Amino acid sequence: MKKILVVDDEENIRALYKEELTEMGYDVIAVHDGVQALAEMDKMKFDLVTLDMRMKEMDGIETLRKMKGKDAALPVIISTAYEEYKHDFGSWCSDAYVVKSSDLSLLRDTVKKILG
Amino acid sequence: MATTEKTELSILSEIGRISNSSAGLPKKLHRIVEVVALGMGKDGASVFLIDRSGKTVTLAAAIGLHQEAVGKMSFPIGMGIAGWVAEQKVPLALEDPYSDPRFAYVPESGIEKFTSLVAAPIMDQDECLGVIFALSSAVWRAASSEITLLTTAANQISGVIRNARMFQDIQDRLAALATIYEIGLALTSTLDLEPLLALIARNSTQSLRAQGCTIRLMNLPEIASHNTFSSYSIVGDVISEMDARFGGIVMERVVREKNPILIQDTTRDPVLADGCGVAAASIISVPLLFRDKVIGVITLYNKEEGRPFTEDDLQFLATVASGAAVAVENAAMYERMEDLAIEARARAQELSILYDIGTAMSATLDLDRLLRIILTAATMGGSGLGFNRALLLLTNERTNTLQGMMGVGPTSWEEAGRAWSEVSNSHKSLMEWIQTGALFERRDSALNTLAKGIRVSLLPKEEVLALTVLNKKPYNVTDAAGDPLVSPELRDTLKVNSFATVPLIAKDRVIGVILVDNMFTQRLITEVDIRFLNLFAHQAALAIENAIIHTNLETMNRDIRAMHKQLVQSEKMAALGAMMAEITHEIRNPLVSIGGFTRRLAKKLRDAEDKKYIDIILGEVARLEGIIHDNLSYIKELAPRLEEGDINDILGEILTLYEDEFAERRIHVERDFSPSLPRLMIDAQQIKQGLINLLKNAMEAMENGGALSIRSYSAPETREAAIEIGDTGPGISDKARQNIFNPYYTTKPRGTGLGLSITNRIVKAHKGRIELRNRESGGSIFTIKLPFPENKST
Repeated sequence: MKKILVVDDEENIRALYKEELTEMGYDVIAVHDGVQALAEMDKMKFDLVTLDMRMKEMDGIETLRKMKGKDAALPVIISTAYEEYKHDFGSWCSDAYVVKSSDLSLLRDTVKKILG
Repeated sequence: MATTEKTELSILSEIGRISNSSAGLPKKLHRIVEVVALGMGKDGASVFLIDRSGKTVTLAAAIGLHQEAVGKMSFPIGMGIAGWVAEQKVPLALEDPYSDPRFAYVPESGIEKFTSLVAAPIMDQDECLGVIFALSSAVWRAASSEITLLTTAANQISGVIRNARMFQDIQDRLAALATIYEIGLALTSTLDLEPLLALIARNSTQSLRAQGCTIRLMNLPEIASHNTFSSYSIVGDVISEMDARFGGIVMERVVREKNPILIQDTTRDPVLADGCGVAAASIISVPLLFRDKVIGVITLYNKEEGRPFTEDDLQFLATVASGAAVAVENAAMYERMEDLAIEARARAQELSILYDIGTAMSATLDLDRLLRIILTAATMGGSGLGFNRALLLLTNERTNTLQGMMGVGPTSWEEAGRAWSEVSNSHKSLMEWIQTGALFERRDSALNTLAKGIRVSLLPKEEVLALTVLNKKPYNVTDAAGDPLVSPELRDTLKVNSFATVPLIAKDRVIGVILVDNMFTQRLITEVDIRFLNLFAHQAALAIENAIIHTNLETMNRDIRAMHKQLVQSEKMAALGAMMAEITHEIRNPLVSIGGFTRRLAKKLRDAEDKKYIDIILGEVARLEGIIHDNLSYIKELAPRLEEGDINDILGEILTLYEDEFAERRIHVERDFSPSLPRLMIDAQQIKQGLINLLKNAMEAMENGGALSIRSYSAPETREAAIEIGDTGPGISDKARQNIFNPYYTTKPRGTGLGLSITNRIVKAHKGRIELRNRESGGSIFTIKLPFPENKST
């Protein structure tokens, strides 16, 4: 079963993503900031990450850089409430950019596309 | 005896009476010989006088001889009876002179009709002045009383001769003084050197009754006319021959000795004895002395009557020469003064023109108006410099080129004639033209367009406009067709064969070039023109510099105001953006939760009534998300805002920006910007950012200094403009080359790894490409290629 790491500081979002992605048939681990995310990556190997941009401990760009440093091949979907991060050069090395929406169909489609 | 005494007394008293008369010497002597012949009862008498040279006796008066012989019949001292008596100074009575060995017969003198004679010397103290004869056609054995009577008469006559001679001397001296005075007057009557010399020559010749005269002036620096030579001759070719033979030698001697020279007979002079076929001559030569310096020599040849020159003649000539020398020097000085005066007048006129132009130029700080004033001044006759056409070019330091800015001048003969007659008829000064504003009416003349089409790169090369700037000096092109410095393009543009260029230098920096020609009048541009134009250009350059500084200040001021406004605007926007971001974050997340869980809930509901409420909730959530999305749409896109821009300008700006850092890092910059690069459609800010990233990369690659090469060129075959940035660092490894444009990839300990990926994104957004290669000589070269604008045929 493929493993997805969900990183978001909003508890409700974590719960929603976990429910939705679990239902899609993935093994989901959800953490609330970058520090925890990197710690989880040390414990096990993930197939995909959904990453929030604005977090309290270590923001998304910093987390993204460190994740790519650990495992350059790990696909990362940026999932954020901010549309403008799309234009931030720092976000260009992500594999997809999904603006958060209550309609999760774009997220589902993107995950499916990356994990096959 | 009494008769003899009585006769003697009457003769002497008669001679005394004659000597006190007012007649001249010849008349007196004639009367005296009459009295002597009559008183002594003889049919003839005569008087011979020794001339001043003391070498000959000449018949001065006679009774019974042919009168034609008077003045002609003469004997050397010691020859003939007269010569013998003059030499021996004793009386002589000859009953039959024809048998006497001392007698010398002179034909056609009339002496043959006389049989006997008595002669007595005319003595004045110990000096013999002449001889008196009593002649008898009858045989006459003279008594001693008769000889004594003649001797006594002779003594009486000596007084007459002496007085007459003294009178003659005084007359001569007065005449000489009068001549000298006249010459003096004449000398002050002209200040032209040539006529003056002719005047001196003529007066000297006539006064001394010479046959010819030459005057030579020394080749002295303070005498304007070098080697001036003047001659006056009443005989002609003979004197010319003499002068050719003797003149130079005599002059040399006079100059060396600084003293007058008298040569009575050239055949008796050791140097001049061999006349080389030229007739013997008598010569006097005196120096023209001014302040003890010989400025010339005046030489006279041969007295009339074949007599040699005397000391008196020399004295006379020396007196004339002293006056003449002053006159010659005055004339020479006057010539110099006139030259100076002409020059001073020209200078004054130049200064007045420059003053007018200076006043006109200071009247405006508007660059465009100023350039027009400058070019109008260069082309206006009268109060301007009077060239036919004038072009002005300014240097652009960023692009390192010389760019034509403006041209003033007529485009055809007809227009030229009209414009010039208008100018000359109106008699307006440059200032008045400016005040009437007529200068500024026509801006888009053909010449103006032509001027704006001239653009020359200032790389070191053999081209006249570039050299004018690089060498900071004027060029006067007299044969454009044959001059290798004149490019065919410039020749085709100007369509003239001669023109001149001068640099505009302000504070030791060349800010431009003025080019002038005389296309219509074909008047040659002289060195004097160039010198004046250069003075003018210097003044113009300062005025242009001032205007440019002024314009720059104005532009800067305007920019600062615009920036301030923009800043206020963007601050507002930034504050609004920050607020929006907060709201978005705070609202979007709960909305996602609400909407997300509601959807999940909807999947579990079967009741249609309940589903209706769920749909309402989802609808409202979607509406709120829509409002948020719309409100955020102001955030700008990365898509470049394309405008027409000049790559060379951008490169120039960047190089200026990092000038100090280059020096600090000991990096030498080599620039080679193509002036033919077309303007591109670009977002100048983004391109600048992209190029700065490459530049920083190159600098960081050269830790110990090196050479940075910046090159722009156009590749028409692929319709691209290329920018190359090269360094002399270690180059780029193959591994690095694969990743170099990926974000966060860096080989530097403190690098962010974003610079090159940003540059890559920017170039791609401009539909361009970026290439990278290593140089064989070490270091790497990045090349950015940007497409030409779509609809431009360049």
